[in-house]
Amino acid sequence: MAYLVQLQKQFDDYRASLFNEGFLDDQFEQLQQLQDESNPDFVVEVVSLFFQDSERLLNELATSLDQQNTDYRKVDAHVHQLKGSSSSIGAQRVQRVCIAFRNFCEEQNTEGCLKCLQQVKHEYTLVKNKLETLFKLERQLLAARGSSFV
Amino acid sequence: MEVMESDHVHHAIEEQQEQQHFHVLAVDDSLIDRKLLERLLKVSSYKVTCVDSGDEALKYLGLVDDDVDKNSPASSSSSSSPQSPAQDGLKVNLIMTDYCMPGMSGYDLLKRVKGSSWKDVPVVIMSSENVPARISKCLEGGAEEFLLKPLQLSDLKNLEHYLLKPLHHSCQSNIISDIAAEDDGVDSSDDNINNDIIDSKSSSSSSNNNNSIINKRKAVSPEPSERRPRAKGLAVV
Repeated sequence: MAYLVQLQKQFDDYRASLFNEGFLDDQFEQLQQLQDESNPDFVVEVVSLFFQDSERLLNELATSLDQQNTDYRKVDAHVHQLKGSSSSIGAQRVQRVCIAFRNFCEEQNTEGCLKCLQQVKHEYTLVKNKLETLFKLERQLLAARGSSFV
Repeated sequence: MEVMESDHVHHAIEEQQEQQHFHVLAVDDSLIDRKLLERLLKVSSYKVTCVDSGDEALKYLGLVDDDVDKNSPASSSSSSSPQSPAQDGLKVNLIMTDYCMPGMSGYDLLKRVKGSSWKDVPVVIMSSENVPARISKCLEGGAEEFLLKPLQLSDLKNLEHYLLKPLHHSCQSNIISDIAAEDDGVDSSDDNINNDIIDSKSSSSSSNNNNSIINKRKAVSPEPSERRPRAKGLAVV
């Protein structure tokens, strides 16, 4: 029983830290409100879509910015998509970098764009790790709860 | 012949069950946003059809030009477009569309819909960007509302205001009176209610056999006694 309490605390604390450190914002809470017994994996599914989509976009961005004559409209379109999807799942820090990124696109500032690309990759990797850890802790907690009722 | 008849009855029942939920056509090029919107709508008890572009939305509504049809392969129907039910009887109560989409924008879709036989269907436009000029343009173009993404459950509560009547493409109106009698039916069936009140008052003063709509009207303004906080169990000595 003590183990269960410990797991719960670990999960709760970790989750709280993600919000406190700005990795996630209120939109992530909204996602959890949409999850229920009929759709128990909703959050994981949407977040997985976000991972897939982001990886695709980051690759496109790297390619687009590697061209001789950068097509900034294309770069901006990709960043706009990434901004939208990160906003939709509550990945606040990724979203914020995207906002700065778009400003550099508008100025057609290559150096600024390249810096933002590095930064957004970094933030994406961080939030991906955090979310994967969160889901793992949740699975452990659910498994422990399940077995404690044997 | 008997087999066909029971099939017909089965379909009629299914269709009626479908008709009891408002049907929303959701248009967004982002898969994540489509998934979110679909879930938001389903949780709010709406029936949802999602498409990924304005073109697909027009196809679904049967508004595609003949020229376009002639160019596409005769036998194929694209796997990405939903099963389009027969035009007659297709019911869409609300269209929700993203503004920024490649190809046809949400605004373009709005104009096309407003210039078609579906012009009475309310259209709501969504966008991640808060651009006042864009918002005015959409509202002036006939959009019912402009919502900022990401959408939340509370945003959907407001949608109920536009969804009083199901709008059938072929103008069937059987369901209209059924739905009007529910919940917010007070306004649309005012005359009937007044008649009922008068009738019951004249028959007996304490009659409780009024229909539920009358009780709801009474419940709107709480009696003064209810406004006083209830005494707690423990008395403060």
